Amino acid sequence: MIVLDKVSKRYGDFQVLTDCSTQVARSEVVVVCGPSGSGKSTLIKTVNGLEPFQGGTITVDGIDVGDPKTDLTRLRARIGMVFQNFELFPHMSVVQNIRVAQIKVLKRPEAEAHQKALALLDRVGLGEQAEKFPSQLSGGQQQRVAIARALAMDPIAMLFDEPTSALDPEMINEVLDVMQELAAEGMTMMVVTHEMGFARRVADRVIFMDEGRIVEDAETDQFFGTPRSDRAQLFLSKILHH
Amino acid sequence: MSDFDFSVILDNLPFLIEGLGMTFLLTLLAIAGGLAIGTLLALARLSGFAPLAMVAAAYTNFFRSLPLILVIFWFYFLVPLILGRPVGGFYSVLVAFILFEAAYYSEIIRAGISSVRSGQVAAARALGMNYWQTMGDVVLPQAFRAMTPVLLTQAIILFQDTSLVYVVGLKDFLVSAELVANRDQRLVEMFTFAAAVYLVFCLLGSYAVRRLQQRFAT
Ligand SMILES: Nc1ncnc2c1ncn2[C@@H]1O[C@H](COP(=O)(O)OP(=O)(O)OP(=O)(O)O)[C@@H](O)[C@H]1O
Ligand SMILES: [Mg+2]
Repeated sequence: MIVLDKVSKRYGDFQVLTDCSTQVARSEVVVVCGPSGSGKSTLIKTVNGLEPFQGGTITVDGIDVGDPKTDLTRLRARIGMVFQNFELFPHMSVVQNIRVAQIKVLKRPEAEAHQKALALLDRVGLGEQAEKFPSQLSGGQQQRVAIARALAMDPIAMLFDEPTSALDPEMINEVLDVMQELAAEGMTMMVVTHEMGFARRVADRVIFMDEGRIVEDAETDQFFGTPRSDRAQLFLSKILHH
Repeated sequence: MSDFDFSVILDNLPFLIEGLGMTFLLTLLAIAGGLAIGTLLALARLSGFAPLAMVAAAYTNFFRSLPLILVIFWFYFLVPLILGRPVGGFYSVLVAFILFEAAYYSEIIRAGISSVRSGQVAAARALGMNYWQTMGDVVLPQAFRAMTPVLLTQAIILFQDTSLVYVVGLKDFLVSAELVANRDQRLVEMFTFAAAVYLVFCLLGSYAVRRLQQRFAT
């Protein structure tokens, strides 16, 4: 479904990504972890073309992301993305947030978009909050709305960039639960997270990044059992014992 | 004080209100036109497309370095020349105000757009929105909300600046007041009244700005 082949990216002289290759199969859940600044966000944003890259190729569902002829807006409409800081639109109500791209991008009739929005809000447990504004919701609720907003586009895959790291600890699980459900339903997912419990429970594979390279790309059991690289071992010991 | 006769105001009220109407009409049309062109200029400057950004920057800097009265004169003589026929003071002055205000608005709008978090753009793009949808539905509504106090302040300045139209013989509020003042020999009364009217509207505007700033601060 998602194929990265030797993806490289520079910011001026600074090499952010070097020869990153991996694949995410249909219905697979892949967790990406690694120290701060290792390029996780950059990598995940290259998948839907939010970050341009200079070397290598990325294809999503057979579509070449790096090809200048590719209609990126159309591709993005089919890939859901959830951000660390939710990025709900603050001037729109919750239900408007979920409606707007359905109407503007997919050209769905308003009534249908509205119904879909309400159904998705129910699904993430926020059926009562449709008319509120994002600022009136807790962080965990906002992130669940953001997930609903992405799902409203009927995405073929979902990208998550540290969806729980801006949340108070007591709200992390309500978001992870929604993600776990999604995975159980067979959604293809690429998730940048430091929630190793989630990775263990939900991920099929774990990718470990360091200094712009994919250092480790292993089945989940194998990753947590015997990570091959020293850096991954060090990272795991830090993150699991703090 | 016994020499003062403020009844001159009441007697000429319809005439004065007509002048005030002209002042408001000019102010509102100049705001609307200035905002529209100012927004396009701001988008051009932020477009990342160098030739477009440079033209917009040149425009902005050019108009911001000219005194408004010069621009008014200039268009008063220039617009009829370009069109090859007289257009009347109103339209030439309106064009001058719009193009002049656009330069100031574009700077305000540019700052407003830049104040919207980049994550908002990323979120809109990630949903498949194109450039215009991202701007129109996500960025500009937030930018204008943040800018409203500054835009209103600029509108107050514009409201006062419209009095400059006397130079092309347009009958705005101040000109009407002056006409009455001279004709009825009631200079003190009329100019006091005129000052009071400008003061009231500008104070109202400032009050609105403060209220908005308080609302946005919370
Ligand atoms: N616009 C930019 N210009 C220059 N350098 C950048 C830019 N964006 C990111 N970088 C750099 O690229 C590197 C990778 O950034 P990235 O955000 O992908 O890391 P990350 O693994 O997601 O880190 P974190 O865990 O802190 O989110 C960092 O060193 C960062 O400073
Ligand atoms: Mg990151």
